[in-house]
Amino acid sequence: MKKSNRVAVTILVICSVVIALVFLLPLLWMVSTSFKPDDQAVQAQIHWIPQTFTWANYIYSLFQNSTDVPVIRWFFNSMFVSVAGTVLVLVVDSLAAYALARLNVPGKKWLFATFVGTLMVPWIIIFIPMYLEFSSTNLLNSYAALVLPYSANAFGVFFLRQFFISFPHELEEAAQIDGAGKWTIFLRVVVPLAKPALSTLAVFTFIQIYNDFMWPLVATSSPDMRTLTVGVAVMQQGAYTASYGKLMALSTMATLPMLAIFGFGQKYFIKGVTFSGIK
Amino acid sequence: MEALLSIPEESEAILLSVGTRRMKDKVASFLFLIPYLAAFCLFMAFPVIYGLWISTHKWNLLDTNHPFVGLKNYRDLFNPTTSVHDPFISGLVNTLQFVVYSVPLLIICGLGLALLVNALPRRWKPIARTIYFLPTAISVSVISVIWLWIFDANSGLLNYYLKMIGIPSIPWLTSLPQAWIALVLTTLWWTVGFNMIIFLAALGEIPEELYEAASIDGAGRWMKFRSITLPQIKNITLFVLITSTISSFNIFGQPLLMTRGGPGESTQVLLVSIYNEAFHSLDVGSAASMAVVLALIMLVISVIQFLLFKEKKTRVSKGETTL
Repeated sequence: MKKSNRVAVTILVICSVVIALVFLLPLLWMVSTSFKPDDQAVQAQIHWIPQTFTWANYIYSLFQNSTDVPVIRWFFNSMFVSVAGTVLVLVVDSLAAYALARLNVPGKKWLFATFVGTLMVPWIIIFIPMYLEFSSTNLLNSYAALVLPYSANAFGVFFLRQFFISFPHELEEAAQIDGAGKWTIFLRVVVPLAKPALSTLAVFTFIQIYNDFMWPLVATSSPDMRTLTVGVAVMQQGAYTASYGKLMALSTMATLPMLAIFGFGQKYFIKGVTFSGIK
Repeated sequence: MEALLSIPEESEAILLSVGTRRMKDKVASFLFLIPYLAAFCLFMAFPVIYGLWISTHKWNLLDTNHPFVGLKNYRDLFNPTTSVHDPFISGLVNTLQFVVYSVPLLIICGLGLALLVNALPRRWKPIARTIYFLPTAISVSVISVIWLWIFDANSGLLNYYLKMIGIPSIPWLTSLPQAWIALVLTTLWWTVGFNMIIFLAALGEIPEELYEAASIDGAGRWMKFRSITLPQIKNITLFVLITSTISSFNIFGQPLLMTRGGPGESTQVLLVSIYNEAFHSLDVGSAASMAVVLALIMLVISVIQFLLFKEKKTRVSKGETTL
């Protein structure tokens, strides 16, 4: 029995390694190609290790100083929008979630149900009217247009409200007896204790905003307001179509922050995904 | 006597102040909700209503006048003589094709990977889980760049290795069944980790005792899977089914960037048609109506899936009460 078990486990491990290679090799290929000069990026012979190792693609992409391809600006845009969006979501959602979980809001059950219901509303219905909304207020192609829409997503409210509901009442009650007002209780007692949930929401939201493609594509019209995600697509369809080395360098740079955050924030990301399943 | 029948002044004052305090409390509580409520109205509620409004008007982005046309935009979608009919119908058919091809694979492979990771020795579990989940942290544009390259007919990675084992060059992105295979495989690689994580959580919730009891009764591995694992994850499977279906309906980036709708327009999905209609043809009214139709279709399918699954569940549990 033991021996057949060991054989089975060995087979499983081998399978899992093969599958892991399937998931990793395309990424390694991207990185490898990014270090190849353009004339070696596309070849009849596949070389995993570049014959000529070069940083030229990275240098070119970052510093080419073209108004059409302001990569550093794109990087800044992506970071700014993701950070601003995440902070906005955390602030707005935690306030709302706490109110819905603990406070005396009129009609809170009905409100909460409505918010959660909108999670089913498909994005397509919203993006055209939102485009017109921003267009008519002359805010298209601005950071406002890039950042604000994410604050309406009900996922964070749902997630945090469930978290706050399972909070033990004693701490808040103790603070209340000491004469603390709602705002003080929220800031000084609840928020510090909600750090795990807030971190989960933060990682989840950050990655989603950074990787968002359709809305930044629609909301921006000038090269200097684009995010990296859109920029990569634009370059792939445009100037870098034939320059695979440069395209891969750009892609690698665009992906690195997410891989880093994923690496460090992985348990939070997983918690967020798992939560959306348990609902 | 009077003193007994009338409310003493102090108590009246107290009752009044309790009432105002409660009112103040409600207002103070509501203040917490206002930021989100504002965002919600501006970027969710209003756009939905506005979108429906736009869809009933002839609305070109360049015109200043947008006359009300009732359901004309909707009728045009199904009228073979209009220019919007073909992109709409073929877009819809293509999106439906993608949903049918991708969703079963997303569920089965998601579950398969979860079972695999679950069965690995403890040391290997976290790293396997991380690696399989990693692609979900990458944006669709980078995914498209990588896989466009791998699927390239002439010098792509895949054809290179296929050639080595004797299979001639496959035109992955430029001919028909292959383009769908390429799109589905790319999407699978990208997002299956998400489903895997959800299934892993569900598998982790199944009590060990059930399996132990089954072992004592002499159940083999397959029997355990069929009668314990599958029923226990029924609900989560429904969730994965609905969310995967919705995501597949929302497919946009991969066909836009990898196949560019080709060959011809055979992989141009509905979201791309809507995007083109709104931002190339500039006919926002018509695009809005396409969006509404797509949303309705998605809603109906989600409801059908929900109902079908729920029904099966009661049948199964009825059968098991014979124990």
